Amino acid sequence: MIGPLVKNSIISGGVNTVFAVLIGVLFGYALQRSGFTNSKKIAGVFYMKDVDVPIVMFTAIVTAAIGLWGLSLVGLIDLSKFYFLPSYLIPMVVGGLIFGVGMAVGGFCPGTSLASMVTGKIDAMVFVGGFLLGSLIFGDFYPLWEKFYNSNSNGTWRIDQLLNINVGFAVLIITLLAILGSLGMRKLQYKFWGQK
Amino acid sequence: MKKELWNPIFGGVMIGIAMTLTFFISGRGLGVSGALTAVAAWLQNLFLPSVTQSSKYFSKLFENGANPLDDYLVFMAIGILIGSFIAGIVSGDSKIEVLKGPNISSKGRLWYALAGGVLVGYAARMARGCTSGQALVGGAELSVGSWAFMFSIFAGGFAVAYFVRRQWI
Repeated sequence: MIGPLVKNSIISGGVNTVFAVLIGVLFGYALQRSGFTNSKKIAGVFYMKDVDVPIVMFTAIVTAAIGLWGLSLVGLIDLSKFYFLPSYLIPMVVGGLIFGVGMAVGGFCPGTSLASMVTGKIDAMVFVGGFLLGSLIFGDFYPLWEKFYNSNSNGTWRIDQLLNINVGFAVLIITLLAILGSLGMRKLQYKFWGQK
Repeated sequence: MKKELWNPIFGGVMIGIAMTLTFFISGRGLGVSGALTAVAAWLQNLFLPSVTQSSKYFSKLFENGANPLDDYLVFMAIGILIGSFIAGIVSGDSKIEVLKGPNISSKGRLWYALAGGVLVGYAARMARGCTSGQALVGGAELSVGSWAFMFSIFAGGFAVAYFVRRQWI
């Protein structure tokens, strides 16, 4: 049984959709139990008051990187059938800056606002409404930023290719950076806000 | 009595497992903003079909009578709603309320939430994804653009944190 299961016709599109819902349930449950439905906790990272959010993020990235590249290493996933996200460096940097401003102002990102909404948080419901509006502004006035949006098309552009190193080594580097980053941010949190 | 939150390492591993499952089963990453944009386009199309379908960005979602809600990420978003709803009930966290710092009114907080939502909605489209679909998934794929996106999020947030501190601390 070699993945991607749906692309190797091991499961049907319908079964794939059922898995999409089930994986969503796991994701939503984990977001809520990690405290990501609390806007104060999310915004707390920007004051170094609570750095759980980046620690969860770094851990998730490292786990999934080991999952993806590990499955590939043992031959359980055929990466030629895998959809890699394309890089558009400058639009992504600009998008990220605006996104970060929006997170500090609004207290959520899209996934956390959805998860928070169903736990009764009114600020999350309003944020989701704002998100819908913001994406309509992007789509309805698309010609205004179409050229910039499609600029810097780098295709699949990975850290291992950028640094010209082995993929396994790149995974090791991000793992070490994630550990050092998590420990460093926790240390700053304790320094500025004291130990809980 | 509220249940304690998961240890962040445990929570991160669980989210990483969810991501690995989508890689193995579907050959792609998970995500959220794509689903919300599909809902936005679908809603606007109910009231303003000509505007929506003449938009170069949204028209492809309706090509050949397609329904934008018939999408992998929309089904996943339904799962997220179910999962978080269950977690909120079993943990005792579910409550109708506005979460905010002590120095702002609830009404003020909701204006900030709306403004932040608009900015994030626009930015997620510009960056072709959000924290989950671009930063986490692309981060695991080792994508250079995704890592740049993630560091830019932190930079943007730290840059304005001082000006919105009244809301949080």
